Formats: sequence, structure tokens, C-alpha cells
Amino acid sequence: MDIFTMAMWAGTGGFLIFSVVKDKSKTKRALKMAFGMGKGMLLSILSIILLIGLVLAILPPQSIAGFVEEQNKLLATVVAAAFGTITLIPAFIAFPLVGTLVDAGVGVVPSVAFLTTLTMVGVVTFPLERKEFGAKFAVVRNILSFVFAIIIALVMGVII
Amino acid sequence: MINVKKDEKSKILNVIKNNIFFIIVLISYVVMFIVKPPMGVTSVKNSVYYLKEMLMIMPVIFVLTALLDTWVPKKTIMKSLGKESKIKGTIFAFILGGISAGPIYAAFPFCVMLHKKGASVKNIIIILSSWAVIKVPMLINEVKFLGVKFMAIRWALTMVAIIIFSWIASKIIKDKDLPEEKEEENKCDVSINRDACMGCSLCAKNYPELFGINNKKAEVKEHDFIINVELLNKVVEQCPVSAITTNIVKQKGEDIINEISQDETDTVEEKESEVS
Repeated sequence: MDIFTMAMWAGTGGFLIFSVVKDKSKTKRALKMAFGMGKGMLLSILSIILLIGLVLAILPPQSIAGFVEEQNKLLATVVAAAFGTITLIPAFIAFPLVGTLVDAGVGVVPSVAFLTTLTMVGVVTFPLERKEFGAKFAVVRNILSFVFAIIIALVMGVII
Repeated sequence: MINVKKDEKSKILNVIKNNIFFIIVLISYVVMFIVKPPMGVTSVKNSVYYLKEMLMIMPVIFVLTALLDTWVPKKTIMKSLGKESKIKGTIFAFILGGISAGPIYAAFPFCVMLHKKGASVKNIIIILSSWAVIKVPMLINEVKFLGVKFMAIRWALTMVAIIIFSWIASKIIKDKDLPEEKEEENKCDVSINRDACMGCSLCAKNYPELFGINNKKAEVKEHDFIINVELLNKVVEQCPVSAITTNIVKQKGEDIINEISQDETDTVEEKESEVS
């Protein structure tokens, strides 16, 4: 557990104690609400997790890196961005992987595109996002994030 | 709006429809294990990592979201993250997203709650995006593998991009495109302080679907329909001894909340001590 997660636990713990001291019945209701929220999202999150596991088994990040290396810049950027949308990769895997891409001469542009869509655009999390925020929000946010991920990557290629 | 009793078949169909995503994933796993067992094992192993990540962060997110929902008044959220919050709201949204741990889906329930309490679409998108991609917890990792210069430029560009596209999104997405307090409508708690009730049966007369008289005192009937908030609020107001308490008054504006939450807590406490 990293320090930020721990801080969140500690902060929430403190908040919970404050809440109990101030008003027990309100706290009880809040916890009930939290439990309900968890129950409502559990199956969706479980599906996402299992799907990510599956996608990473079929398309391991290393093989994607290998594939991207062989393409020309533009195609590599689109492919990298597209692959980034499919899945979520934890930061401690994503950053070394992107580092490898840059070192291998793939270039900054595809690497940044990959990094940005990796975390910001989620095909896998889309059903959950649609359920929580509505279809329009989910579609607009994901499309805009994808477009801007490529723009960020391109501008970065110019600067670096 | 009483739900019509569905027959068994459509019930099963509904369950399948609601969980179609999960079912598809499960079928994919079965296929994978038949076609390529070692890959299936790898998939499960991968999933275990994400499962751990989820269990580390989601419980705390849910509790934190519910606590904030309970304690932070709507006015505060509107002021700090609403449409009028301007640049201060933008900065606050970046900070909220940037310091939070966990994957992007962890931000979903949190942001839904904020929006219900008056945060603007623009600021919600900023929180979601910065939660995903410009995280302080990731910073050290990024510097380690990609260098300070890379990190600094990427952060600056990403922040500018987020500001631009959250603004574009707020032009396209209207508040009504997002779910409002529907959930609360369904789940709303109505309770009666039976010690205070004097059995005038006014509530049962005005809203017979929800209230009944039992043992000369009012009681809340079992219900699975969407409660008519306006009618319910009227009934609550009319009760001569203010024995009815609800948690759906949020929708009716700030002043009513404060007024009711005061005696609400009292009565709920009484009710709970009575139960235990």
C-alpha cells in the first residue's frame, strides 16, 4: 500500500470517528449508504478486473511494445493510443514500459499517447461509467480524452 | 407508480440483462480455459493483482463518499465546485483528483456524489481526468523512468488539455444528462416515531400506499415503488406531532434540510434505541 492510499485510510478513519462522536445515527446511515454503493458497483468492478486480466493475458504490454516499435511514427501513435484505451495498467508497470518504449527509439509521441489513454480512456470501464454517469457523459468524456491524448502526445513530440 | 408483478421468466431475463457484461466476461474465461488453459491461468493471476488493488482502495472510497455526502452541505459543494466556482473550483478539482489514490473507476462514485450535490460537469471531468493521469502518487515513478523534464512537460500539457476539454464537455453535456437523485428516491427511508404518533391517521388518509394504521399507530408499509416526494413532504408537514421522518428532503432545497435534519436525528435515535 503506498503512502497516499494509507493517507486516505487514515483520513477516512479520522472522519469516521468524528462522525460517530458527532452523530451516531447519521454515521450508521452513511455506512449503510457506503455499503449500498459497494453492493451496487461490486459486480461491475469485478467484471472490469476479470476483463483486464484477460486482456493482459491475450495482449501482454511487452508484445504491444514490440509491435509498436516496428511501425512508423503515425501508425505507432494511433496503435499505442488505441491499445491504451483497452486496458488499465498500474503505474508501476506503465512507466517502466513507457520508459522502455522511449529508450527503444519508439519516440516520445506514441509513448505519451499510450500513457495518457492508458489511464484516462477506458473501454473496459465504459459500461460502469455509463451506468454511473449516463451514456452521453461517458461517450463525450472518453472521445474527448482520446483526441486530447493524441494532441498532448503530438505537442510533446514538438517540444522534446 | 406501483411496480407490476413480473412473472418469473421476465425476471430471469432482467437479471441476465442487468449483468450481461459480467456474464460475457465469465463466458470468455470458460472459453479461454478450454482453448488455452495456461493463458486462462495467467488471466486469473493478472486479475488477482487488480483485485488486491481494488480491495485496498474501494472500501475507503465508499465510506469517504458516504461520509462527505452526509456531512458536507450542498451549499459548500456548490460554492467550491459548482458553476460559479470559476478558477478556484478548477484548482480545487485538480487538487482533489491529483492527490487521490486508486484507478479511475474509484473516482466514479465520488464524482456522482459531488455532482448530485451541485458540482459542475466541468469540474467533475477535471477531477476524473486528473485522478486518472496527473497523479501525485505516480509522480516519483514517472520521474524515475522518464526523467524530470519529460514529467514536467507532460504534466503541464495534460493540465492545459484537461482544462480545454472539460470546458468543451461542459458545453455538450448538460446537468440533466447525468443521473439526478433517482437512487435516493428509491432507497429513501421513511420512518415513524411511534412514541410520538397519536394515531390521527392523517398520513394514511393522504398517502394510503405508503402509510397504514396498525395498533392505533401509524406505520410505514412495505414498498418498492418510487415514492412521490411532493406528496410525502406534504404528509410530513401535515403530521401534527412531526412523527414522520425522511431522508429525501434534500431535493426540496437547503432550508428544509437543516430544519428537518435536526429533529430527524432525534427521532431516528429514539427509534433505534427502541429497536435495540
